[in-house]
Amino acid sequence: MLFAQVVLNGILLGGLYACMAISFSLIWGVMNIINLAHGSMMLVGAYVTYVLHRRFGIDPILSIPASASVLFCIGYLLQRIVFNRVVHTSIFLTLVLTFGLDMLLINVNIALFTADVRSITTWYSGLALEIGGVRLAYTRIIVFVLALAMTSALHLFLKHSRTGRAIRATSQDTRAAQVMGVDIARTYAVTFGLGAAMAGATGSLIAVVYTFSPVIGDTFTLKSFVVVILGGLGNMFGAIVAGIFLGVAENLVAGFVDPGYRDVISFWLLITVLLVRPTGFLGRPSFAVTRA
Amino acid sequence: MPPDLQRLLNPRTYRTAAAVVVLCGLALLLVAPLYANLYWLRILSMAMMFATLAQGINLIAGFAGYPAFGNVVFFGCGAYTTAIVMVKLGGPFWLGIVLAALVSLAIVLIIGPALLRLRGHYFAIATVGLNEMVKALVANLTPLTGGGMGLSIPLPPWDPSQTARVFYYLLLATMLVGVAVTLWFRRSRLGLACRAIRDDEVKAEAMGLRTTAIKTAAWAISAMLTGVVGAIYAYWFSYVEPPAVFDMLIAVKSFVIFLLGGAATVLGPVLGAFFVEYVSTTLWSHLLDYHLGALGIGVMLIALYMPNGFVAFLRSRAHTLGAFFAPQAQHSR
Repeated sequence: MLFAQVVLNGILLGGLYACMAISFSLIWGVMNIINLAHGSMMLVGAYVTYVLHRRFGIDPILSIPASASVLFCIGYLLQRIVFNRVVHTSIFLTLVLTFGLDMLLINVNIALFTADVRSITTWYSGLALEIGGVRLAYTRIIVFVLALAMTSALHLFLKHSRTGRAIRATSQDTRAAQVMGVDIARTYAVTFGLGAAMAGATGSLIAVVYTFSPVIGDTFTLKSFVVVILGGLGNMFGAIVAGIFLGVAENLVAGFVDPGYRDVISFWLLITVLLVRPTGFLGRPSFAVTRA
Repeated sequence: MPPDLQRLLNPRTYRTAAAVVVLCGLALLLVAPLYANLYWLRILSMAMMFATLAQGINLIAGFAGYPAFGNVVFFGCGAYTTAIVMVKLGGPFWLGIVLAALVSLAIVLIIGPALLRLRGHYFAIATVGLNEMVKALVANLTPLTGGGMGLSIPLPPWDPSQTARVFYYLLLATMLVGVAVTLWFRRSRLGLACRAIRDDEVKAEAMGLRTTAIKTAAWAISAMLTGVVGAIYAYWFSYVEPPAVFDMLIAVKSFVIFLLGGAATVLGPVLGAFFVEYVSTTLWSHLLDYHLGALGIGVMLIALYMPNGFVAFLRSRAHTLGAFFAPQAQHSR
């Protein structure tokens, strides 16, 4: 029974991981930027939700549009003003630039909200669904469903909308897209905005199930990275499978080996998969390795 | 050398001038402990520590083109090796330094050939993953490492100002070793092979270079340098704990210094380290609550405006500078 409990909790956590990873993967896949500030952006979303809940009593689930919009604006402006200058230059620059942004966001979050650990308690926080001895918290179920819904929504948007087609065209062949009349600078800005908005929305979900403080963003960034590697870059279905796999693996290790090794397993997976199958579980060939 | 400066001075004058500047700098560093107070001595020591770390990054990232973003893992391993040798085995400090270098070497020999198959972002983040993994392992192997409580090393047997001087000269010596290694590396066949790999790995391999062995060798030198600095840090601070010695901020700071100094140069990392250390100390003392954000903005500005380092920045402004210092240089082309 304990086993079932641990595995089911892992699956529910995995939905959130998939959601974190899909926006990270979008920015990476289209602009080849590893956004090291990804986790801190999520935390900005979490704090928007926290403030709306604390000041105005707005339910955290309902504040998702607000956190997404705030982050969309931040992301759009950042790409327009800063990142468009370094797209397609050296990888050193994008890494250092996004790490600088991460430091800035951490400092802003500490200055505005202090370094205290925060959490959000709603009227349904303590309730749980009980099936045959397994208890599943409603918050986790809601977060799981919403995370999968948002991931699918992003996928459908990229697949079928006009903007989505422009984004995909730009990522496949920038020059051809430009010739066909796509405004590359604007598309990049929209892509970063979308990625940031997804991160903000994910932050709202994080605020529902986790306790959070300004300094925990890096863990989320690295987890997103692990999921993207496991699932393959730009692969939505892969991200969901990999997210759930990571969630279950982490919970099994934490539950049956030692909670201290929870994070070790994700990096062990990361390095193993990078070496054995650098395109991920379901991935297509990519530019990951010098030799095939 | 900036081309306009080259026109202003003939090569021999330029080399003599550079040598004089370097020797004066060295002389200043040698006598600084006689005049500087402990506060400034510590800042200079820190700058030299970061200069060596950046030199390590320079070897693998600047020459071979492999962005080892998580190189701080060797710093942490070196620090812990010394701590374990001195606390658990009661060994001397020099043994800690030697073992720190050997442990770093061993890590690279074991996982280097595998990790170095990855390129670009994948390599960068895999090294970060390695650092996080080792950090978590060290935090959990409590009997050996003291876990989250860390390890306290016995204080050095000298009085505080003497201690500060000892570590100052130790770090100065390490930095000079780093510069010497880079100087040798740049002229060696190994360094040449690394630059060939950086410019086009497939072609380098087609030319018959054993790329994996070469990259591993370059990373091993970088790791040993980093490990030794970690070992000195451990005894200097007398205390190690996982978040302090496996801190990604150390890695990023050395990366920024490396960028600022200019990739694949010999003295770039040294100049960059003194500049960055000075600026971040000034920021620290003036903006206590906001220094992290200010540092973040500074890092972003450097990446945006000086992406190829000081020298390239000066070169792009050389016309203006040249006109300022010697107006006739504009007409003599």
